[in-house]
Amino acid sequence: MTSMAPYYVSRALISIALGVFLALTGSQWWMAGLASLIVLALFLWAPHSGRYAVHPEFGVTALRRDERTQAINDQAARNAFIVTGLIIAGIAVYFSKIALASVPVAVLNLALLCGMLTYFVSDFWLRRTQS
Amino acid sequence: MELCNRLKEIRLQKDLTQESLAAAVGVTRQTIIAVEKGKFGPSVRLALRLASTLDVSIEEIFWLENSTGEKL
Repeated sequence: MTSMAPYYVSRALISIALGVFLALTGSQWWMAGLASLIVLALFLWAPHSGRYAVHPEFGVTALRRDERTQAINDQAARNAFIVTGLIIAGIAVYFSKIALASVPVAVLNLALLCGMLTYFVSDFWLRRTQS
Repeated sequence: MELCNRLKEIRLQKDLTQESLAAAVGVTRQTIIAVEKGKFGPSVRLALRLASTLDVSIEEIFWLENSTGEKL
């Protein structure tokens, strides 16, 4: 039976590297350590989360999306793309026909945020309803 | 037309858990649950892997039914 050791060792190294990077770029040591631990915890949880098919034979890339997970991700991405597109279209119409001003960057950020939220909510909802 | 299956029944006959079947065909346990409940239609590739792992023909696991419940 193939071991998951390459996966765990690689993720531990990535977590440590992240902590070192944060510490070297000005974060306080305890914040860097905490971020490193949180990322490591997520890596340790991932194989047991049910979100990925586990293939130890692939070594460091042992976690793969299966076809249902991929279908859910694709649908969530489509939903996010549509929502973002509609919001940007609405913003463009509003600022060119009604407000007659240039579009503030903060408004565009809001459109992107709505797109991201749509992705995560869709992903969560589809996982709940398709199992 | 509705895609029906007796995956759960055959899996239990073969004394397999959802976890072990999922590992054998390379998907998550949630995918096996979704297929068994009819909430996810598997690809031909996955259906063939399931049939091969359970050592039955694909038609024994999956079939189509029309709106009157008649097997096609």
